[in-house]
Amino acid sequence: MNDMSILVAGVIGLLGAGLYGLLAVRNLFQVIIALQVLVKAAVLALVMAGYASGNLALGQSLGVTVIVADTVVAVIGLALAVQVKRHLGTLDIKALATLRR
Amino acid sequence: MTAWLVICTIALTWLGAGAVWLVGDSRPRWQHSLAVTFALAAAVTAVLLIPQATDEAVITLSVGGMFGTFTFVPDGLSVFLTAVATVIGSLAIVFSVNYMHGEAQLGRYYALVLLFIGAMAGLALSGSLFLLFLFWEITALCSYALISFYNDDPKAVRGGVKALIITQLGGIGLLLGALITRTYLGDYQISTLLAQADTLPPNILSLLAFGFLIAAMAKSAQVPFHTWLPDAMEAPTPVSALIHAATMVNAGVYLLARFYPAFAGVAGWKTAVATVGMVTALLAALMAMVAFDLKRVLAYSTVSQLGYMVYAVGVGGVFASQLHLFSHAVFKALLFLGAGAVIHAVGTRDMRQMGGLRRQMPVTSVAFMIGAAALAGLPFFFNGFWSKELVLEMGLEGGPLWAYGGMVLGAGITAFYTFRMVWLVFWGEPRGAAHAHPAGTAMRVALIPLALGTLTTWLVVGPFGHWLADTLPYHHLHVKTTAEFLRDIALAPATYVAIAVVGLGLAAWWWRDHLTGLAKDLRGLAQFAANGFGFETVNRVVVNLTQRAASALQLTQTGDLNWNVVGIVGALLLVLLVLAG
Amino acid sequence: MLNLILVSGAILCALQAMQTKRLIRAALWLACVSAFVALTMYRIGAHEVAVIELSVGAGLVTILFVFGISIAGEDAMDAPAIVPKVLIGGMALALVVTLGLLLLPVGEGSPQPEQTSFAVMLWEQRALDVLVQVGLIFAGVLGVLGLLADEAQVAHKPVKRETAVANPEPVLAATETPAPQEARA
Repeated sequence: MNDMSILVAGVIGLLGAGLYGLLAVRNLFQVIIALQVLVKAAVLALVMAGYASGNLALGQSLGVTVIVADTVVAVIGLALAVQVKRHLGTLDIKALATLRR
Repeated sequence: MTAWLVICTIALTWLGAGAVWLVGDSRPRWQHSLAVTFALAAAVTAVLLIPQATDEAVITLSVGGMFGTFTFVPDGLSVFLTAVATVIGSLAIVFSVNYMHGEAQLGRYYALVLLFIGAMAGLALSGSLFLLFLFWEITALCSYALISFYNDDPKAVRGGVKALIITQLGGIGLLLGALITRTYLGDYQISTLLAQADTLPPNILSLLAFGFLIAAMAKSAQVPFHTWLPDAMEAPTPVSALIHAATMVNAGVYLLARFYPAFAGVAGWKTAVATVGMVTALLAALMAMVAFDLKRVLAYSTVSQLGYMVYAVGVGGVFASQLHLFSHAVFKALLFLGAGAVIHAVGTRDMRQMGGLRRQMPVTSVAFMIGAAALAGLPFFFNGFWSKELVLEMGLEGGPLWAYGGMVLGAGITAFYTFRMVWLVFWGEPRGAAHAHPAGTAMRVALIPLALGTLTTWLVVGPFGHWLADTLPYHHLHVKTTAEFLRDIALAPATYVAIAVVGLGLAAWWWRDHLTGLAKDLRGLAQFAANGFGFETVNRVVVNLTQRAASALQLTQTGDLNWNVVGIVGALLLVLLVLAG
Repeated sequence: MLNLILVSGAILCALQAMQTKRLIRAALWLACVSAFVALTMYRIGAHEVAVIELSVGAGLVTILFVFGISIAGEDAMDAPAIVPKVLIGGMALALVVTLGLLLLPVGEGSPQPEQTSFAVMLWEQRALDVLVQVGLIFAGVLGVLGLLADEAQVAHKPVKRETAVANPEPVLAATETPAPQEARA
């Protein structure tokens, strides 16, 4: 097992953990946390790909872009969650499914 | 320069839409003036585009991959339709300043109208089939949203959904056509299709031809897809004037005229087009005879006149169809806006409650009667007369005689119902309880140019023809000067037949009391016409099926994030398995 | 070996963040994930992005989470998962296994000497990205301000509209008699 394989396994593991979270959790805050985990996997994958192809700087600059975008997503998501709590009184995502018949 | 004009025409309206939206509904005065400013600016750029017309792509934007290259080609047909859409659009917006005064949610209204005008310009100007499809869908979306503008009225919502579903049928035909073109010819360019149509396998070409015909029939409300247009009259009247009379419904005719050179050789295509046009013109005219809703009469007459244009394409008269499109856009916008002023004044759409309005609304009634004379095809001073005669003359030359007979009969019925409408609204004694007040300033400002246009646009027939012929390399139009045109039409025997039939139509109305026996005999037909000749049922089945399928699929929409992610992960697994296997 | 520890630490923390029922704990576990990922990236030479990840991911975002949770309040959630447990575990496992079988093992990378430095890459070659990031941050700030502000109350005027004709009765040559219900004396 070389270093690269370990890193790839780490990316896969983080992806799995994030998607597991999206499948399992019902709390809006935890949904955002699961998204964060997914994005961490993406950043790690980008940097690793830059490292493996000998263009680490490119990988890093893409990683920074993803981090920025992801932080904005987290902030907006948090604000939305607060509003949901304010309007619906709960953070359960089941309560958001109001479009059903 | 030309490229900038093209960009400005589309971008100005869309910027205006954004601006009106951003200003917010708390400042209606700003919204009115912003909408008018942007619409007028777009109209000016579109008019400036007229002398710049060319058959080459002025904007080429490679988007790569499946989407090919997006191009804008401002040739005669395109610039013409763009100018019609933007000029009449800006007049409709000017009219709205009075008509929509004090309404809630002006931002949504103006933003959608402006978005529509831009999309219509884009539809006309785009040189790529895929881009054409995109704009086509945007116009359908705007039309739906504006029909359902009063979204707390179930009738309006139903009308909007119906229009959306039926025009989508057409959209599918267009998308299929675009994809087939891409598959067989390598790109989406309209010019490629026109140039290399004869290299396609014959069965594929006829598939394309009839697919586009269905697209055009759905969009231009031709039988049997016409039922959405009368229901679309729930929209605010300026919207009816703009979208459902002067522009969007012309998109189908535009499509047929645009691809006529490619499909003219397909066996049976021209006959099919002419038949569709003839049947539509006749049936819609019959339905207009028995309707009492002022806007419905106008809607049926629109369907009927669109039938004339489709028929003209079917008998090889592309120029005649465009000329009639031009005349019709002007006089029908005039009629709709005039009707809007009337409805605004008396507060009802029922013609049985109007009457005698010519004394109370002098400007509106004169303008409306000019438009009505053009619609009826009264000779010599009205644009509708010349273009309709040209259509009929082309029909006699290039089409089957029975179709020509139907069209002439349609002209007579048109004269009859037009006269009936004018009589019920403006003459006789006032019947409604409501007291009418004259039209507002902005309404008059919008009506007068259209009335002047109705009286004068037939004078530019020669230059218009030359201009179209110069920029349409594939259509091989035969054009003459204005004087030659007018002399040919004035001397053609077809003209006198038509004038006689129009006269008969008017006489039938005048002596209607003597014809009560006949009217009784035709009562069954009248009932049948009022029920829309049973097409309503067919359409209802289609709409119901679509909606039932939608509710069945609703089961899959739990609204729960977790289940949605199950779908995502499942699809991801599938893709991975395919990749692995 | 160190890499293995870091990576498995990140995954374990991530799973903990998903498992716990206390929100504050979940946020702190997320901070740990971020720290482990940052360390991993530092180890392969991506120093700049590691620092940014540590400060933004483990610092800023955690503070934001704690802030948000303190506003919204802990929402104890004992309700069972919506999707059946078997399906959740099965799908997550199947995904990880499939990806692992597809991708692993990978050959050793070929790290070449760096040609361009991170700063040059970011500011000169990827200037557009930076611009987009600025736009993103701006949009994010606007979005949060809009969300946290009290919604403006827009007064709606009643909508007036035309009355349509109800069920017109068919008459070929229309008479001028008014509609029955509207007949005047």
